[in-house]
Amino acid sequence: MNQIITSRRNFIKASLTGTGSLTIALALPGCQSLHSHSLQENGNWEANAWLEITTDNRLIFTLDRVEMGQGTYTGLTTLVAEELDTDPDLFEIVFAPAKTVYRNRDYGLQITGGSNSLSSSWQVLRETGALAKLLLLKSASDVFQVPLDDLRIDNKHVVHIGSAKRASFGDLCVIASKQSLPSDIPLKQPSEFTYIGKKSKRLDSHLKVTGQANYGIDIDIPGMRYAVVSRSPVYGTKAILHNGQSLIGVNGVEAVVQIKSGIAIIAQSYWQAKKAQKRLNIEWSKNPSMVKNMEDVFTLYREKSEQDDGDIKREEGDVESTFDETTDFLNAEFTTPFLAHATMEPMNCTAHVQKNKVDIWTSTQAPDIAAVAVAKVTDVDLSEVQIHNQFIGGGFGRRLSQDFVAEAAEISAQTGGVIKLVWSREEDTQHDVYRPATLHKIKVALDENQMPVAWDHQIVAPNIMDWYVWDASPAMFPWSPKFMYSTLGKVGLLTAGSPVTPADTSAYEGADSIPYNFPSLQVRHTKADAGLPVSYWRSVGHSHTAFAIESMMSELASQANMDEFLFRKKYLTESPRTLGVLEKVVDMGNWGQPSEEGAYQGLAVHKSFGSYVAELVELKVVNEEIKLLRVYCAIDCGLVVNPDIVTMQMESCIIFGATAALYGEITLKDGVVQQSNFHDYPMMRMNQAPEIEVAIIHSDESPTGVGEPGLPPLAPAIASALFKARNQRFRDMPFKLA
Amino acid sequence: MKLTINGEVKDISSESDTPLLWVIRDELKLKGTKFGCGAGLCGACTVHLEGVAIRSCITPISAVEGKHISTIESLSADSQELHPLQEYWIEFNVPQCGYCQSGQLMSASALLKNNPQPSDADIDLAMSGNICRCGTYPRIKAAIKAAAKKTEVVDLSYALDVSKMSS
Repeated sequence: MNQIITSRRNFIKASLTGTGSLTIALALPGCQSLHSHSLQENGNWEANAWLEITTDNRLIFTLDRVEMGQGTYTGLTTLVAEELDTDPDLFEIVFAPAKTVYRNRDYGLQITGGSNSLSSSWQVLRETGALAKLLLLKSASDVFQVPLDDLRIDNKHVVHIGSAKRASFGDLCVIASKQSLPSDIPLKQPSEFTYIGKKSKRLDSHLKVTGQANYGIDIDIPGMRYAVVSRSPVYGTKAILHNGQSLIGVNGVEAVVQIKSGIAIIAQSYWQAKKAQKRLNIEWSKNPSMVKNMEDVFTLYREKSEQDDGDIKREEGDVESTFDETTDFLNAEFTTPFLAHATMEPMNCTAHVQKNKVDIWTSTQAPDIAAVAVAKVTDVDLSEVQIHNQFIGGGFGRRLSQDFVAEAAEISAQTGGVIKLVWSREEDTQHDVYRPATLHKIKVALDENQMPVAWDHQIVAPNIMDWYVWDASPAMFPWSPKFMYSTLGKVGLLTAGSPVTPADTSAYEGADSIPYNFPSLQVRHTKADAGLPVSYWRSVGHSHTAFAIESMMSELASQANMDEFLFRKKYLTESPRTLGVLEKVVDMGNWGQPSEEGAYQGLAVHKSFGSYVAELVELKVVNEEIKLLRVYCAIDCGLVVNPDIVTMQMESCIIFGATAALYGEITLKDGVVQQSNFHDYPMMRMNQAPEIEVAIIHSDESPTGVGEPGLPPLAPAIASALFKARNQRFRDMPFKLA
Repeated sequence: MKLTINGEVKDISSESDTPLLWVIRDELKLKGTKFGCGAGLCGACTVHLEGVAIRSCITPISAVEGKHISTIESLSADSQELHPLQEYWIEFNVPQCGYCQSGQLMSASALLKNNPQPSDADIDLAMSGNICRCGTYPRIKAAIKAAAKKTEVVDLSYALDVSKMSS
C-alpha cells in the first residue's frame, strides 16, 4: 500500500513497511522518494519517514532539524503530537540521516540554521500528525463498526465513546496503512490546541540532567583509535617537513599521517595522541598574501570602501541629490571584530571509511553537506556515506561547516579502521570559521531641525558564501558526479540569488530591511575579504548591522535633542510590530527612570528571521568595569508553540550577545589567531550575567524564528546606555572603557 | 592502578599522568562527564572528589588514587529517583544544548552539600567556574534556590516530628 495525497502544499504518503509499521512521510514529486515503491517491499522505506507507528505501539518521530539547544526536539515533536492527540512525552525521537527528503525547504539543503525550523515545519508536521490520526480513526471505525464521530484518541489509543472498546495505534496500524487517503487533511484551529502554546517541559531534559544524552564526542566504537591534528597556524599554509615518523611506536602512537589541513597523530588513547602532539615539530609553508593583524584588516576595508561604492541593496528616494542640497551631516563609522563560535562541545567526528561504505558519527547542523565533505576526500560515492547524527553540544552556525568531518574521513581513509578525531579547545578557537569582521559607514543628511532626510549606509564585509559554497553546492545536486563538485561551487557563486542558489545576504541583512521611513535612504555592500575563513555565526549579518543601525539611531536622537524611544517612534509609522515590541520594553523597564542610583538605560530594536525584538538594558560602571544589571526583552514571533522555549531562547541570545558586546574579539598577529581558550576568549559567567525579563507579544501570525533574533538588539542597547554613563560613543565592538 | 568511582573499585590501565576526565570517559565509558577546555576554565568536566567539586580535565589519576570520585551518573541513585537539583533542572527547563549541564549539576550539588542554604553571592561564587554558552544561568540559579528551599522544608518537617516525639 502506498498512496500519495496533495494537501495545500505538501505531498504526504502513508504506507506499510516490511515490519508492519505504518509510516507517514513527505513525498517529493518527481523525485527519489517516488522510487520507494520498490524500497517498500524490503521494509527499508521507513528511513524516509517522519512518523512511524509500530505494531507494538511505539511512536517513532524522526527529527530532521537538529537539536542544539534551541528546542526542536520538543517543538517539532509537539506539532505532530498536537494533531495526533497524544502526549509529546510518549514519542521516541530519532535523528534523521542525510536524505533529500529531510532538506530544509527554504534552502534546498538539509540545514538547521536561520531560525526557521519551526516555521518551515509548521504546516507539514501538523499534517503528518493529522493524517495519521484520520487513518487510525477510520480503521477503528471499520473494526468496531461504529461511526467515526463516536471515536476519539486518547494517548496512542483510539477509544469508543460510550463503550469499553479501545484499540492501540499498534493494533490498528496495519489496517490504517490500507485505508484510502483523504483528499484533504483538516488541521486544528488554535483554539483547539492542547499542547501548542502551553508552557511545557522540554523532552530532552531528563537525558541531559542525567548525563545520558549522547553527543558526537560520546561515540565509542569498539577498537576505535583517537586522532589529533596539528593545523597550520597561518591559514592557507601547508606542512612541508615534520618529525612525525619518529613518534610512531612510542607511547601508544600508531601512525602519523599528513592530511590537507595538517599532520594527524593516531594513538590508542586521546591523551597519548595529545602528548605526542607536543613533540611534533612541523615546518610550515608561507602565505605572503595573508593579512598580518587587525590594523591590516581594517585598512583593507577602508581602502575598499573608498575604491568601490558597492552594490546597492536598497534604495528609497534620491539620497544623492538630497546630499547635494544638504550642508548638515552626521557621519559615523562602526566596526565589529572576528568572532569564534566557542561551542561547549569542541569539534569532533568519528569516521570509518571502508571500500564502498563510510560511517560518520558526529554532531552536525548539515548532514548532507557532511556527506559531500566525506565524498570529496575519499573514493566513496555520496550515496555510500552514512551520517549518524547526535545531540549537538552547541551549534550557533559553527557546525554548518564540515571541516572536522572531512579531516576524520581523510585520516580513516589513510589509516583504515575507526578514527575518533577530537579538537582541543585551543584548536577549536584558533581554527574556527569566524563571524566576519566588518566596517559600517553611515552618513545621514539633516534638515534645519537636525532631523534625518537621507540615510546612506555602506557595509564593508566579505561574502560568507564565497567560503561556504564549495561543499554546499554539491549537496544541492547529490546525483552529480564528483568531478563536477568544483564546477558546482563556481556555478553556486555565479547563480547566487537565482532559484538555483539563495542570494548571499549575510553581509547586509537587516540593513536592507531597516524599518525607519526616512525621506530617502540607500544601503550599499562593498565586498572586502581579509582571507581568514568566515562563516555563519548566531544571527549572522544581523549581529553587526543592528549594532550599526541602532547605534546611529541613538546618535541621531541625541543630535535632534530627542528621547531615543520617541525619535524611533516618529519613524516607525509603517512598522507597527516593531513599534509594538519597543513600546512593550519601554513599559516593562520604566524607560527614563533607572531602577537604582548610578544605573543607566539603553534601548534598541531589530527585526530578524521574521521576528521583532526590542531590548532595554540597565547597566552600571563599577570599578571601571561594565556591570549589566537587567535586560528587558519583548518579542513578537507570531504564534507561539512553546512559550517557555521562546523565553529560553531570548535569555540565551541576551547572554550570547552580552559576551560578544563586552568580551568577544578574535585578533591576528603575524597572521596567527591570538586567542586560544576561555582565559583569553572569555565567555560571560553566572556572576556577570544580568537579570532577564522576557515578554512575548500575543499574535496569531504564522510562527517565525526565535533562536537568533534576541541577539542583534543587545549590543546597541548596551552602547546606548554606555553613552549615558560615559558621555562618549562606543562605536567599536567589543566595548572597552578608556 | 585502582580508582574508586561511584562506589566501585576499578582497575585502570591508563598511564598515571592521564587526566581523570579521559579515564572516566574513555576507559570506564562513563560519558556524562564532558570535555570542554582541558585547562580547568569551563567546568564541563566537574566531578566530586571526596564530595568536593574538582575539574577532572586537569587532575591526573595519580593524584586521586584511593579517593572517592563520583560522576553525574551517580548523582541520582537510579534514574527513577532523581536528585532534587535534577528535578528542578527539569522543572525549570534549564538545559538547552545540555553539554555543560553535567558539570553545572556536579558543582551545584557540591555547593548544596556543604552549604544547604546558599545566598545569591554563594551561588555566584560556586558556579562562576562553570561556563554555559547557551546562557542558562538565570534558570540554574533559580533551580538551585528552589532545591535549597525544598531541603529547608524537609528539614523543618523533620524538626516538627522530633518536637512531637519529645512532647
